[in-house]
Amino acid sequence: MTKRFGSLTALNGVDFALAEGEILGIIGPNGAGKSTLFNVIAGLETPTAGRVSYRGRSIAGMTADAVCRLGIAKTFQIPQLFPRLTVAENVLVAALYGGGHGLSASWREAREWLAFVGLADKAEKPAETLTVSERRRADLARVLGTGASLILLDENMAGLNRKEVEAAVGLLRDVRARGRTLVVTEHIMRAIIGLADRVVVLNYGEKIAEGRPADVMRDAAVIKAYLGESYA
Amino acid sequence: MIRWIALFALGVLLLLPIGVGPYPIRVATVIFMWAALAGSWNLLAGYAGAVDLGPVVYHGIGAFVTAALMLKLGLPFLVSAGLAGVVAVAIAYAVGTPTLRLRGAYFAIGTLALAESTKQLALAWDRLTRIPLTGGSAGVSLPLSAGYVPFYYVMLGLMTAVTVAALWLGGSKFGYGLRAIAENDRLAEASGLDIHCLKRRVYVVSACVMAMTGGTAGYWLSYINAADVFSASITFQMVVMALLGGLGTPFGPIVGAAFLTLVSEFLGTRFAYHYLIAIGVIIVLVSLFAPAGLTGVLEVVRRRREATA
Repeated sequence: MTKRFGSLTALNGVDFALAEGEILGIIGPNGAGKSTLFNVIAGLETPTAGRVSYRGRSIAGMTADAVCRLGIAKTFQIPQLFPRLTVAENVLVAALYGGGHGLSASWREAREWLAFVGLADKAEKPAETLTVSERRRADLARVLGTGASLILLDENMAGLNRKEVEAAVGLLRDVRARGRTLVVTEHIMRAIIGLADRVVVLNYGEKIAEGRPADVMRDAAVIKAYLGESYA
Repeated sequence: MIRWIALFALGVLLLLPIGVGPYPIRVATVIFMWAALAGSWNLLAGYAGAVDLGPVVYHGIGAFVTAALMLKLGLPFLVSAGLAGVVAVAIAYAVGTPTLRLRGAYFAIGTLALAESTKQLALAWDRLTRIPLTGGSAGVSLPLSAGYVPFYYVMLGLMTAVTVAALWLGGSKFGYGLRAIAENDRLAEASGLDIHCLKRRVYVVSACVMAMTGGTAGYWLSYINAADVFSASITFQMVVMALLGGLGTPFGPIVGAAFLTLVSEFLGTRFAYHYLIAIGVIIVLVSLFAPAGLTGVLEVVRRRREATA
């Protein structure tokens, strides 16, 4: 797919496939096009050219809510909340509309996912009272609440300390164990290497490498993109 | 608890015309009318967060459609008012489809402009189309109405309907969807909500109630003209009442309507020329000291009591 904003090409012919139950890491320096890639997949942006298909269906150009109901949901780089709803209601809304459940089933889903991400004790608090790391987990619970089978995590670990990152990696492994497919963008290499089955590297909107994390780390083009010519 | 009080109050209001004379009934009818209008505005602004500054469009359409059906087709009043509601639903659906895509201040400005241009269109309608409907600036006279008690009950019914709708929004799936849209519409969309469809449903319902209220008010006054029934001051009065009573609360619009109507009635009879100044001061004071509205004050008092108990 390709996405241009005026004369700026944010994504240039980026192409990859994703297997069901996989964890794919997307890495790349700032401005490489990671968030744009997610926005295009999640229906927040329409690609300038190219195709996005999900389970054999073309989804490029669909609205974000339709994509979500099909089973693709994303967390936000800056975690988003419904600030004056309670934490449980945040997940409830996702289960009601993204998951298409009734009220009582959605309340069950909301409690279950809050317990899963470790926020059960905050369920009745207004969402705006959460800390940054709690907001990231609430955002994840909301995405899980939509019932999405493909989950896009946009730097869901940014701003977390070492211990929190470890906890987050464990949590994402559990998510995969529940049969979900994950695409993760991250700056924290350590997190990605330990988590992803496969990595795609973007630079200036183009795919420069793809493969197993350990192999990609040794790739000359990747080292050059991150560290400059002299290290390659 | 509050619902039982409301139910009891409704029972009293149903029996009220038996016990009291015409003047209190008329004042009560005015309160119900404003509560129905402010309440339907509150459904969209208070629950879905879309501030509509042109709701008077449906009030005016309701008045003229009701008048036309009664005068031209000789239909009974209630049928005409009901059909006016149906017409408003159709128009609101067509108007809401593009305008509800506007966000925040743009929606407010767009609807305000729509209301003003509708008023001008209504004033020029007869001259432009050669179909007599609005009577231009001369207006339209309706048949004299039978007594004041029927209007009391119709307005009471409209107010009750809006309040029941608002109460239902409090805990229903649809209500949660609207609150999510009001809080963060982009996130709501990313969570699977068809925000446009949800907002349009509320918009259409509130237009329907406003049209029936406008139709009833027109017949009650037995004279309508476009400059009055499409007047922006009707919009602003709805907005002020909803804000005074408490935006996004089921009983706020009733409290706001009762408060403002009674204060105007009380002050207006004593200081015929200066009472508007006093009302302005009161509105400023309430918004300064009770930004959540009068029902917000009750809520604070209740919480303090619970805290001390």
